[in-house]
Amino acid sequence: MPLSSSEQAFGGSSNMKAFCARIAALMLTAAVGASPAQTRTEEIEAARDLKALRARPETTSSLENLLLQVKQRKLIERLSYGYNGLRTQFGAMATGSGFAAGPQFFREDLAAGRIRVNASAMISTRSWRKYEAGILAPQLAAGRISLGVEAGKRDYRSLEFYGTGPDSQRTGRTAYRHEDTFVEGIAAFQPVRNFRLGASVGGLWVSVGPTNRKDLASTEDVFNDSSAPGLAEQTDYLRHSVFSQFDYRDDPAGPKSGGNYVFEYTWYNDRSAGAFSFRRSDLDVQQYIPFFNKTRRLALRARMSMTEPAGGDRVPFYLQPRLGGSDDLRGFRPYRFTDRNAIVYNAEYRWEIFSGLDGALFFDAGKVMPRRGQLSFADLEVSPGFGLRFNARNRTFMRVDVGFSHEGVGVWLKFNDSFLPRLFGAGTRQPLY
Amino acid sequence: MRRLAAIVILLGTCATAGFGRKFHDDDPLIREPEPRPVTVTPRKISDYYDFFWHTLATPGEKQRVAKPIPAQGVNTLGDPLDGAWWERRHYWRRLSLAELQSAPEKDAAPAMDGDWIVVSAKTEGITPGFVILDRNKKRYFVKFDPTSNPEMATGADKIGSTIFHVLGYHVPANHIVSFHPEMLKLGAGVTVEDRFGRKRKMTPEDLAAILSRVRRESNGRYRATASLAVPGKPIGPYRYFGTRADDPNDIVPHEHRRDLRGMHLAAAFVDHDDSRAINTFDALVEGPSGAFVKHYQLDFGSSLGSGTQKPNSPRSGGEYLFGWKEAARQFFTFGLAVPRWAHASFPQVDSVGRFESTVFDPDTWVPEYPNPAFLNRLPDDEFWIAKQIVNLRDEEIRAIVETARYSDPKAADWVAKCLIERRDKIGRAAFRKVLPIDRFELRDGRLEWVDLAAVYGLGTALEIRVRWSEFDNERQSAAPLQGEQSAQLPEMRADGYWMATLDSPARPDQTVQVYVRKRGERTQIIGVERTWKGCAGSAS
Repeated sequence: MPLSSSEQAFGGSSNMKAFCARIAALMLTAAVGASPAQTRTEEIEAARDLKALRARPETTSSLENLLLQVKQRKLIERLSYGYNGLRTQFGAMATGSGFAAGPQFFREDLAAGRIRVNASAMISTRSWRKYEAGILAPQLAAGRISLGVEAGKRDYRSLEFYGTGPDSQRTGRTAYRHEDTFVEGIAAFQPVRNFRLGASVGGLWVSVGPTNRKDLASTEDVFNDSSAPGLAEQTDYLRHSVFSQFDYRDDPAGPKSGGNYVFEYTWYNDRSAGAFSFRRSDLDVQQYIPFFNKTRRLALRARMSMTEPAGGDRVPFYLQPRLGGSDDLRGFRPYRFTDRNAIVYNAEYRWEIFSGLDGALFFDAGKVMPRRGQLSFADLEVSPGFGLRFNARNRTFMRVDVGFSHEGVGVWLKFNDSFLPRLFGAGTRQPLY
Repeated sequence: MRRLAAIVILLGTCATAGFGRKFHDDDPLIREPEPRPVTVTPRKISDYYDFFWHTLATPGEKQRVAKPIPAQGVNTLGDPLDGAWWERRHYWRRLSLAELQSAPEKDAAPAMDGDWIVVSAKTEGITPGFVILDRNKKRYFVKFDPTSNPEMATGADKIGSTIFHVLGYHVPANHIVSFHPEMLKLGAGVTVEDRFGRKRKMTPEDLAAILSRVRRESNGRYRATASLAVPGKPIGPYRYFGTRADDPNDIVPHEHRRDLRGMHLAAAFVDHDDSRAINTFDALVEGPSGAFVKHYQLDFGSSLGSGTQKPNSPRSGGEYLFGWKEAARQFFTFGLAVPRWAHASFPQVDSVGRFESTVFDPDTWVPEYPNPAFLNRLPDDEFWIAKQIVNLRDEEIRAIVETARYSDPKAADWVAKCLIERRDKIGRAAFRKVLPIDRFELRDGRLEWVDLAAVYGLGTALEIRVRWSEFDNERQSAAPLQGEQSAQLPEMRADGYWMATLDSPARPDQTVQVYVRKRGERTQIIGVERTWKGCAGSAS
């Protein structure tokens, strides 16, 4: 027979609490001398009597209260935004810096959101320093025009250098100190949806010197001005660029479909030494091919950087394109390859493990080359690997990549997307964007 | 030892308390006894905590395999009692198309011929909104669509809430409105919170800023949902397990309430994957005896493929946000084990989002994270809600969809088509598990019923056999009546109880017991119970 309706209605479970409660209810009935329940209504009322006897204020656990307070008081927002825009910034320095942090002032709500201001000072565990400031008007003319000015000073004390050329030796690992100061104005115009054109102009002052690291040879002890152009003498640049972008990714912060094609051409005019003027072109092509409702996708990228010295000038080694590290050839050490030209191909198969985590299998291939004529699929350095992408609201906030190569294994913990969006303007992004 | 003592006490008490009686004099009870007045303290719950708790532990008493725990909070006919949680509606008294379209509350739309006084606002977040008082001083929550998907969240909110109302649940009255910005007037002393929760006086610029983030229609108006504030004092959401400690009327563990267990299929029907505690609402409302707690379902903006701020994820309804087993499967197969839901095709209609009916499977549909009541559902819980869902005719579904006022006919057609197909899938799935016969009545000396699967075109009519027994209500035992094997009522000379056992040769594991009571000249059906293979009362 099925359970009785009275059991079904009011506690047919074997739950001990419910069992005892029913006993208590019956005892209560007997104790007060009332006749047994003749009606369902009386039965319900008896259960209510019992519940009323046990009634106590509704409570939540201390952990739940804590989480509730965090949300209600918007503590995360306050911490991340800081006090009136003053906050602590973490990371955001070039690979090899170690852990970096520092104060940042950031406001994007000025003039009703029309003006964005940023200023920061960072220092890393390896004593690298970076100071930046900028003001940007991103939404002029109904969002069609953006104007910005940026300036900064960087002191990277141990950037790695292995010599130029595809055949540079892993054993030739050295480091140098790279200091530069820049100022730059950027303007961009969006004539049609998804397409932008723009230009930048600014100055760059660079100085390189010996590293402070004891475990690495200093670059000037191993290389000379012939093998590392610009090592003996640095110069000042006036530089300007033009760029274009066609971006139809579905969500630029966490793309799953569409593409992003960026081209930038930059003129570096040597203003002091008269020996290091050159032109640089950068092409960054990204394509996202989704399938199974975007739960799986191929993320493809090809990035090419070419430099062309003016006349008999040379391209200083510290402004030459580089490969190796967390964002391109992930099985190689950071900045492992340097030369006047570089190309890298990245293919990632990404799949959804659960809503906050994607898996990735990747294959990186690329090379540096002294001459454009060597641009081909021959002699590519390759690096397969796998990774995990931790997401929140469709944004990758952390990733772990493990890349393999004939030179070893690279393990990377990064707090950005593996295909860093190409940013415009020469100042803050070249050579270490 | 404690258990032994308890049993001794129980046996002793039962001897005087008449514990064994199956039916009481007032069975079947239709409405909850008048709720007693309560004093409760408002409390909030953390949605983060709720997510992790339910994902990692799943609180509440879990369903058993060996001896399943039947639903509670039901009358002897198997229906929840009308009251604070749920009420009998469309299945018991068919609503007209006009009534369906004006549900849940007639004349509850805001007055459009006067100012709307803005009394509070949400300026932060992706989808802003505000609270207004209309000319009649009625309070409404005004919510908008994301700019990328006009009409999506508001349409879902309207349709979802109406369907839940039709199925018996308490919901706020939601209305699609199209208002001119000049109607909005800022109330005196209104404050807003900035992104850090700091309050300051609200200015007309704040109001303009809210509207600047909302799509304006070509006629200069703004489309929104105006949700009439639920009457009473808000005291926080309810959970899908346990009972509210300070409410003496809340006596049935929520994970065992039939209305909440059955809600699984109601949520599946409209793809309300956001059916979690944070979207429930308890209000202290005035009753004849004093204030009592009434329980509401809120916020259907994340149903019908809408994710409120954007189209819902394709995994919506197909999988939890996180599940150990599925995550491991995906991790170790490198995604080559493609889940069924990932094959779904969705319409290219911005106002619909990701809503479909082809891949939809009511048996495997899940909300965003485990819901203790949904997990405890049994076939009879599913049957109870499925019979209400299939009772919605095609034209009734279309009438409800009309209330969303989609400007694109393709959107309305798609939503209606999907709802109709999902309804049928739910019916087929639920009616497979128990005998799909219901609407029992006694007419001309016969027991009659309706085969719902046959009536709604979801299956062929089953051959039903009837066996009668005389039922001893005190001992809860049945004595078969030889020769009484038809729908004809057996001879009932005196007052008493009889039980008809209905089964079908096609489904030997499923039965329905119908209890009949004769008292004087009155003979009535007072109980209905269903069994299936593996249930507590099944023969197998």
